[in-house]
Amino acid sequence: MPTFANPLGLLALLGIPAVLAIHFLQRKARELPVSTLFLLEHTRREAAGGRRLERLIPSIPLWMQLLAVCLLAWFLSEPRYTKSGSVQRVAIVMDSSASMSVFKEKAIQRLVELLPDLKGAASAVEITVLESMPDKPRLFAGSSPEELRRALEKWQPCEGPADPAPSLYLARSLVSRDGTVIYLTDTPMNPLPYGARLLALGEPLENAGFTGVSFAMEEGTLVWRALIKNHGNKPLDRTWQLVTSTGSTEPRPLHLDAGALVTVQSAFPKDAENVRVVLSADRFPLDDVLPIVAPKPKPLTLFAATSPAFSGLAEKLLHSLDAAESTKDTTSADLSIASYNPLDPVTPSGNCMVFVEDETRTGAWLKGGIVAEESPLMNGLNWQSLLARETIQLERLPTDSVLLWQDKRPLILLRETGNVRQLLFNFDPSLSNAEKQPAFIVLLHRFAESVRATKIAPVSENLETGQPLKITGAPDIPLTIATTDPQGKTLPQSAMKDRHHAISTPGFISIRQGEKTLLNAAIHFGDPRESDFSKCESSSLTETTNTSAIQRNTRPDPLWRVWILLLLAALLLSWRFTSKVPTA
Amino acid sequence: MNLTQLQNARSSALAASGRLRLPLRSRTWKGQAGEFTGGGTGSSLDFQDHRAYSPGDDPRHINWQAYARTGSYTMKLFREEVRPVVDLIIDVSDSMFFEEQKAMRSAELFYFIAESCASAGASLSIHAVRGDAVSPLDPATLRTHRWLETAMALPSLDPARAPDIAKIELRANAIRVFISDLLFVGDPEPILRHLGQRHGSIVIFSPWLESEARPDWDGNYEFIDPERGTRHPHRIEPATLRRYIEAYSNHFALWKNATRRHQAALARIPAAEDLATALYREAIPARALESI
Repeated sequence: MPTFANPLGLLALLGIPAVLAIHFLQRKARELPVSTLFLLEHTRREAAGGRRLERLIPSIPLWMQLLAVCLLAWFLSEPRYTKSGSVQRVAIVMDSSASMSVFKEKAIQRLVELLPDLKGAASAVEITVLESMPDKPRLFAGSSPEELRRALEKWQPCEGPADPAPSLYLARSLVSRDGTVIYLTDTPMNPLPYGARLLALGEPLENAGFTGVSFAMEEGTLVWRALIKNHGNKPLDRTWQLVTSTGSTEPRPLHLDAGALVTVQSAFPKDAENVRVVLSADRFPLDDVLPIVAPKPKPLTLFAATSPAFSGLAEKLLHSLDAAESTKDTTSADLSIASYNPLDPVTPSGNCMVFVEDETRTGAWLKGGIVAEESPLMNGLNWQSLLARETIQLERLPTDSVLLWQDKRPLILLRETGNVRQLLFNFDPSLSNAEKQPAFIVLLHRFAESVRATKIAPVSENLETGQPLKITGAPDIPLTIATTDPQGKTLPQSAMKDRHHAISTPGFISIRQGEKTLLNAAIHFGDPRESDFSKCESSSLTETTNTSAIQRNTRPDPLWRVWILLLLAALLLSWRFTSKVPTA
Repeated sequence: MNLTQLQNARSSALAASGRLRLPLRSRTWKGQAGEFTGGGTGSSLDFQDHRAYSPGDDPRHINWQAYARTGSYTMKLFREEVRPVVDLIIDVSDSMFFEEQKAMRSAELFYFIAESCASAGASLSIHAVRGDAVSPLDPATLRTHRWLETAMALPSLDPARAPDIAKIELRANAIRVFISDLLFVGDPEPILRHLGQRHGSIVIFSPWLESEARPDWDGNYEFIDPERGTRHPHRIEPATLRRYIEAYSNHFALWKNATRRHQAALARIPAAEDLATALYREAIPARALESI
């Protein structure tokens, strides 16, 4: 079967109806009044009044002209024949956003159907399937449609929206200039870079789902609040219920206007496992279930060893920090708050905040520009309104990092020794307006939370799918993860491959190090961009004519000169016989 | 046809009628006094016979010389001179007039017969027939050329059928001149039988066109029936054309045989030639006309 390098040349076949029309018009019935019709009636042996097409008298010029049109169409469409051993390379970039999970089966079916077309004029095809997230491994490489189907059936799109350009670039580099790159998505975007062809298989869906969850203590009871959004353009009536491993509540009706955001809440059941809020099902199931656990941060023990001048500040900090407890034992404290006395210049050995205390209270106001150094603790904080007096100074070590300067005087320092972090205030906060500075309070909280983050302790959290994790554990001891799906089915415990991200599907996880549990978490889908199907559309595969690929995979028709000669001969014959026919 | 054409047709007919006339002398006439020799005795100067006197005879014709010799009354009989009687029937169906050449020839023949009768002093009765409709025409309308208008206005239920001349009351001993292209379906026998009744002599003038007898049709045609106005798609191939020409010949062969049986004169006058030439060539041999 030949391939046509210039399919537009087949338009020349329109000449066939044109030739037939011309011949038909030439043969159009002439009107003639006659008085001998009754004699003519005697002669009607061959359907004189038959169908119109029968009136077309076949003639040599007609056949020659039709032959000439066919030959011309054949010549203009540049037929080419497949070379043996030619290979067409096709790279398919699958949109790995979670919304594609709805159209996965359709996408697989469509791709398998498209394979023969993608092969084009080549004798074989090589297919590479990538995900739109460039850091994901390739899904498939090969040529078998069945293997492609099996590979794609294992594929689970669960990411958020991502720019496919890097993956398209990678795909183009894999198939070179002559190959075909296809971007398969549910949300069309135009134009695609790197000569990629778009295949969109989405459709607008009415969808509602959970978009987030929060917890609060109300009258000693832990209450969860979940947000449910109708992403569609029509009102929806759904039901929701709370399900645990031991039972479930009655489904409760829920009316959602178009685009509405509704909050549902309930007390968190005590001592229950696999607690989840379930919304009645729709076509996008990822956001229809909300696994939850009672949040429980790592406890932070505080030891306050300050002079009475800073006792108020320590008290405020103790109350404002989450899950913070006071302790009298400096060795077991996670964080100490101390004041610096030059007469007793010993600072605590562990994590601590140290404030200089100047009892003379006679220092002049410090002058000069205030400059904050780049540090995660200082990011975004404004210190320009800080007023501090000249006081005695801490002993500064060469390893100390200055976080804040005023002119040439360091005001705040960070001392890090191994796992110990100390935040040193080289001025007396009680002689300044520091306690009224938001930057000061935020810095104290940031430091306390950084200390909490480094603490090895169990924590319970509600996370979103794929959310970055920061797990603090003992070095050199591997982590294991136990996963439970939303239905309560526990999957085998396994070594944790990616300790920096939460799992990509909703469920429950428990991360352990040896016998010690580090994290209990409920993972829910929380990307409302993927839940909104209003911009999903379908479009057939955009056509691009890859002339160089056709020329590479095929050879020209070796008989084209013969066809040209035949065309000329047909035209000459047609002209010869036409000129012989006397005009009426 | 317009007035000028009718005037031209009449002029041609007048010219032809000076050289040709209907075969009035070739038969014996009965009827009113006229210029033609009658079948009985009359008051002409031509002596015919003697016979014995019978009571009631005109005493002016008693041959007194014979009475003087024989003493018995003997009557002198003279040849009768009568007016010939001509019944002219013209077929005014659309097939006679839809083509200009044929219409001219039809009108010329009509005027020719009328003028020929007028010059011979014949008693002329004219009837127009169109399918099943028949109407007498006043010979006086010939000079005003209103006859055609009157004839074409004849209401006919089926103008394409054979002329229904049975409705025409033909006069005895008349020459029945029938002008028609004879292009209608039907047996000529009833028509000829009616024309020949009451000692009538039949003369038929049939104008024809070369394009009807030997058309050059080839290909697809939408033939229009001039009488019904209907359209008939036909594809004409050489074989079809051959069969048509054959059917045309057979049709007129049938008429020729029928006229021969009824001792009628059939003259098929081609429309393409000059009237006098055509009449000399076709009508004289057919004994439809005679030279003056």
